[in-house]
Amino acid sequence: MSTSQRVPVTVLTGFLGSGKTTLLNRILTERHGMRIAVIENEFGEIGIDDALVVDAEEEIFEMNNGCICCTVRGDLIRILGALMRRREKFDHILIETTGLADPAPVAQTFFMDDEIAAQLRLDAIVTVVDAAHVLRHLDEEKPEHVENEAVEQIAFADRVVLNKTDLADQATVDEVISRIRAVNASVEIIPTRHAEVDLARIMDVGAFDLDRVLRDDPAFLTDTEHQHDTTVTSVGIDLPGELDEDRLNRWLGDLLRTRGADIFRSKGILALAGEPRQYVFQGVHMLLDGDFGRVWQEGEARRNRLVFIGRGLDRDALERGFTGCLADAGVAA
Amino acid sequence: MSVTTPSAAPAWEAAVDDAPVAIHVRRDLVAVAGAEGTVWLLDVASGAVTEALTLPGGLLDVALAPDARHLAAAGPLGHALWARDGGRASVFETGSWSSKAAWANMERVAVVSGRRALVLDAEGRELWAPEPAASTVTDVAWMRAGRRLAVAAYGAVRCHERHTPAPVATYRYVGSHLALAVPATGRWICSGNQDASIHIWRTRDGSELTMSGYPEKVSRLAFDDTGTWLAADGAPDVTVWDFSGKGPAGTAPRTLTAHETVTALAWRPGPAGHLASGGDDGTVALWRATSGRPQARLRPARTFAGAAAVAALAWAAPHLLIAAHRDGRVVAHRVPDL
Repeated sequence: MSTSQRVPVTVLTGFLGSGKTTLLNRILTERHGMRIAVIENEFGEIGIDDALVVDAEEEIFEMNNGCICCTVRGDLIRILGALMRRREKFDHILIETTGLADPAPVAQTFFMDDEIAAQLRLDAIVTVVDAAHVLRHLDEEKPEHVENEAVEQIAFADRVVLNKTDLADQATVDEVISRIRAVNASVEIIPTRHAEVDLARIMDVGAFDLDRVLRDDPAFLTDTEHQHDTTVTSVGIDLPGELDEDRLNRWLGDLLRTRGADIFRSKGILALAGEPRQYVFQGVHMLLDGDFGRVWQEGEARRNRLVFIGRGLDRDALERGFTGCLADAGVAA
Repeated sequence: MSVTTPSAAPAWEAAVDDAPVAIHVRRDLVAVAGAEGTVWLLDVASGAVTEALTLPGGLLDVALAPDARHLAAAGPLGHALWARDGGRASVFETGSWSSKAAWANMERVAVVSGRRALVLDAEGRELWAPEPAASTVTDVAWMRAGRRLAVAAYGAVRCHERHTPAPVATYRYVGSHLALAVPATGRWICSGNQDASIHIWRTRDGSELTMSGYPEKVSRLAFDDTGTWLAADGAPDVTVWDFSGKGPAGTAPRTLTAHETVTALAWRPGPAGHLASGGDDGTVALWRATSGRPQARLRPARTFAGAAAVAALAWAAPHLLIAAHRDGRVVAHRVPDL
């Protein structure tokens, strides 16, 4: 189904006190004329009569598809399913998750449930961050195998609303931005105070649309050399040439099967040998959504750009593997 | 091959002011549940609305008692019971998700309430309740003439009886069970799963079988009156499995091709193996669903076109099929022998 007919869904995440509820109320009260439905997992003080507000408790379901990290949100499946059966049409749906929620099952729900995928589209994951306090959360030492939720929410984000910049000095704000970039190199960071955000920057941005992946091209790869000592990082690779499709499928398939649990988000714009169009994909953990994009222009250098955001990524190994997929890597691969 | 016949005029047509989500027919009443919370009661002979009642927060299901003297309504924010005599309504705004109501007999109804299933009397008083399930309950079904209640939720189908909150039988399968079907014979428990499969247990010994490979989640399952045939969605085609003898293990289903997306399934009352299905394009299709050989690809014996997606189907009698469409139209089709 075409993108335009599906109702956009924004996932709003962030710690209690980050200004998430303030932002949510701002979205609901601003005169945009949109009919909005809100699903909240955190009981905030939403006092809006116009919007339909549904409270939900997080229910995480494993899927039996041989994919160890593939979980979906059962609460969202049933609530979104019921919303879609109503006669009134919503222009936008907001899902507010708690600061402790894992964004992956939320995003994966939109890949895994056909009924939802046919009628709704995940627009963007928006993470609200408290500029004055987020460093403390990012630095928090967690026991082994326990996620640092603040890091995870930044890693998954398409937009970071860096709130309360008025309550932090410039050095702190700079440090926070640099730390966010270390985790998620290409995320758009929107500094703000009192959650005053131009809604056009966070709503209906199509962060999961393959054609927007292309349009956001310039921001796609901002390589970060000065990385902090953080286990969650971005690795961007830009490789001239054309890829052998079979080898690419094998490499990417293997990679996601074995490392998918550690790869939170991935995006790519690729040149496949013998294919006149660009191949665009984006993924969450092991789930990939890909399609052909625009035609490579005449004289345009064919190149392959790829970005992974994840835990313990080995840049050298990824570069080696990706380079091995080049069509002219030939028998050496 | 599809047989085109001049479409007979419907017995009646009615319209409700909402998108229907469920219909249920008992005796002289058709209950139509609207997504936003109103239940309309229609006279089965004329389609005239005789009553309307409301559950705040919307509706997901509605069920009339076998004698049509009481009605249970279920919705995202609670449930309600209504008595025909005097028109009394008891509304329970529990804040708990309730997607299903099922009567055991004239006196007892099971209603989903969050992670629990509640067994209520006809006035809504709690008689007994199984312990909470692992997730919000998705479906319930009565077994053993209303003495045993099967409850589906994440990870298992659990069977409960009155004497203890703990299950008397647990059928585990890691996955989100969306719909339950139990044949009148009680020989099988079948669940439609989010992982695009049907999971089947033989009740006698708990032996299991999984029918996987559906392209989509299986959220509608129905046994015919004989308990021999199971119809399921989960694909553009409806699949019909033969549960006779040792069951469907190692067999192939018949596939019924008429819809892009299946939105409703209802077996015609009786042993003939006739099925009605509805699609999101508004088509109602009628099938000799058990004809041909296993693995046969069947075409509808008859179709009715509708302007809006079919929301629900229910047979009022062997020759009267009620179809509710998303635009609020409720049509009673006369269905001859196929």
